Amino acid sequence: MRILFYFLPKLAVAAITMLGVSALVFLSLRMIPGGYADVLLGPFVTPEAREAIAVRYGLDQPLLIQYLNWLGALFQGDLGVSMVTRAPVLDEFLRRAPVTLELALLALIVALAGGLPLGILAGIAPPDHRGGLLARLVGALGASVPDFVLGSLLIFVFSVWSLWLRVGGYVGPIEDPVGNLRVMLLPALTLSLFGIALVLRTTRDAVLRVMTEGHITTALARGERPIDIVRLHVLRNAAIPVVTVVTTYFGFLLGGAVVVEVLFSIPGIGFFIFSGLENRDYAIVQAGVLIAAAVFITINMLADLAYALIDPRVGSGRH
Amino acid sequence: MSHIVTCENLVVTYRASNGPVRALDGVDLTISEGETLAIVGESGSGKSTLGMAMGRLLPAEAEREDGRMDVAGQPVFDIAANDLRELRRDLLGFVFQNPMVALDPTMRIGRQMQRAMGRRAGSEEIHALLERAELDDPARVAKSFPHQLSGGMAQRVVIAMASARTPRLLIADEPTASLDASIRDKVMGTLCRLRAESGASLVILSHDVHMIARHADRVAVMYGGRIVEQGPTGRVLDAPVHPYTRALLKAAAGHEKPGDWLTPIPGTPPLLSARCAACSFEPRCTVSEENCHTTRPEPREVEGREVLCLLAGTQTEPKEAAR
Repeated sequence: MRILFYFLPKLAVAAITMLGVSALVFLSLRMIPGGYADVLLGPFVTPEAREAIAVRYGLDQPLLIQYLNWLGALFQGDLGVSMVTRAPVLDEFLRRAPVTLELALLALIVALAGGLPLGILAGIAPPDHRGGLLARLVGALGASVPDFVLGSLLIFVFSVWSLWLRVGGYVGPIEDPVGNLRVMLLPALTLSLFGIALVLRTTRDAVLRVMTEGHITTALARGERPIDIVRLHVLRNAAIPVVTVVTTYFGFLLGGAVVVEVLFSIPGIGFFIFSGLENRDYAIVQAGVLIAAAVFITINMLADLAYALIDPRVGSGRH
Repeated sequence: MSHIVTCENLVVTYRASNGPVRALDGVDLTISEGETLAIVGESGSGKSTLGMAMGRLLPAEAEREDGRMDVAGQPVFDIAANDLRELRRDLLGFVFQNPMVALDPTMRIGRQMQRAMGRRAGSEEIHALLERAELDDPARVAKSFPHQLSGGMAQRVVIAMASARTPRLLIADEPTASLDASIRDKVMGTLCRLRAESGASLVILSHDVHMIARHADRVAVMYGGRIVEQGPTGRVLDAPVHPYTRALLKAAAGHEKPGDWLTPIPGTPPLLSARCAACSFEPRCTVSEENCHTTRPEPREVEGREVLCLLAGTQTEPKEAAR
């Protein structure tokens, strides 16, 4: 009951947010100079040809009508048709979604596997501990090295010395699981460095904060072993901020990591949206941004649900 | 009578960004088995540091510089981490000022009680212990999270946890300060009853003179990281000898007769950075003399208690300071 009352308002807010996103992406796309006609017909296009293209795709209608048409179709589950491939956008997205999902999961696993232990260590270790120093170094590196720099560096190194991993030449995980891993590991690593730093810093700060709370002293006073204190009292109390950043990070990954997918030629959602943008293929970009927003909002609502499960005070009105 | 706590010349400093702060400036104290000792003093007098030092529960920036603290015959600052943990678990019980902070907000009371009582404690034992701490509906309490309890109930839970393994020494740091005035006496009564049942010694850190008068056998007054006066409760509270004790009693509400004034002590307690070479109360003292400024007082026996005052028991000292 507590969770239901806590959750319903969030659902309403999510719906309003989605509507806002749809209007924003629709408008901003139309404000980019150039249109599909320029892409299709090149720079020396006659006004008549341009007109014909506009009429064919309904681009001659007033913007509001175009927007409402699009929204109406959306509610019927129709995300539109790509002007370039003539295929329904939804099918194209569903075909590419597993690739992005795999990449996101791999990056998330690496980020958690690296960031959580280092963050906990940095939180409970004395300031001059060697593990704490390593954690600080990784945290600073991950937060300051952009993914295109790290990606380019990895591409350079692994193009010269293959070292088992491969750059480019995507193969699906079903045809060739090992080959797929060889291709996906480098982009996943590139994406995860930022995630490691994010998880590490958030975990360390949360653990440091919990370690000063009174109930830790209580646990020490009743003679608990340090490992039990971390396991029973520190982790759960430190979990909320970590869940927040992990879900945000995962939502960001699922929305399609455009730079990394383009850099490593991974045929995922990010790459698809990128090429849609280049071709002024409105339907693809609109649907792509909308899907990314929907995924992001859903993930954040799951995080809200997780808060209520982690901390019994959430949603009870008493803090 | 044997001693549960023997503290000799204990010096504890806190590392701070602007230099060390000497919280304990050489404390000598013994606590007998089964006795109830109250440690009184203003905030900053060092009483919490002394109480926490009995379980070596000081924050990381605190450092024992000198002296020793023996609890149940074990030097707490010099034993291995494992022995310290067993000492805390089996012989000590702590009750903290704010029960809402002392309990883990994400863990049910029953589970936290079980952590305190030991793995084998079943729900019946847990309920029985909660009942001994005068919680009426132990089954409901055990199922609750801390935020679902009132402050008084939560403090009873903390008291039950502290006495879970029949400790030989209970340390209560301002156990009723965060509670509603109407339930303070009852909660204090519960604590004292559980202590009496187990025969443990009890240390109460407080500035509530009223409550101390009722429950403590002996009083130790702290100032500037030292115990400036200690002796039987009645003797110290009825006829204080140290000027600070007298000022403290004058400043405390609850003992005044109609028409009396409460006189706050002007100034604040000192922040020591090194061993105090004089009487640390001298700057605030109304009766001080020349050598109070230059001589560090050592404990003396005056009128059946131990006092740290050069003038105590001499003729120069007026028995009743002017209002």
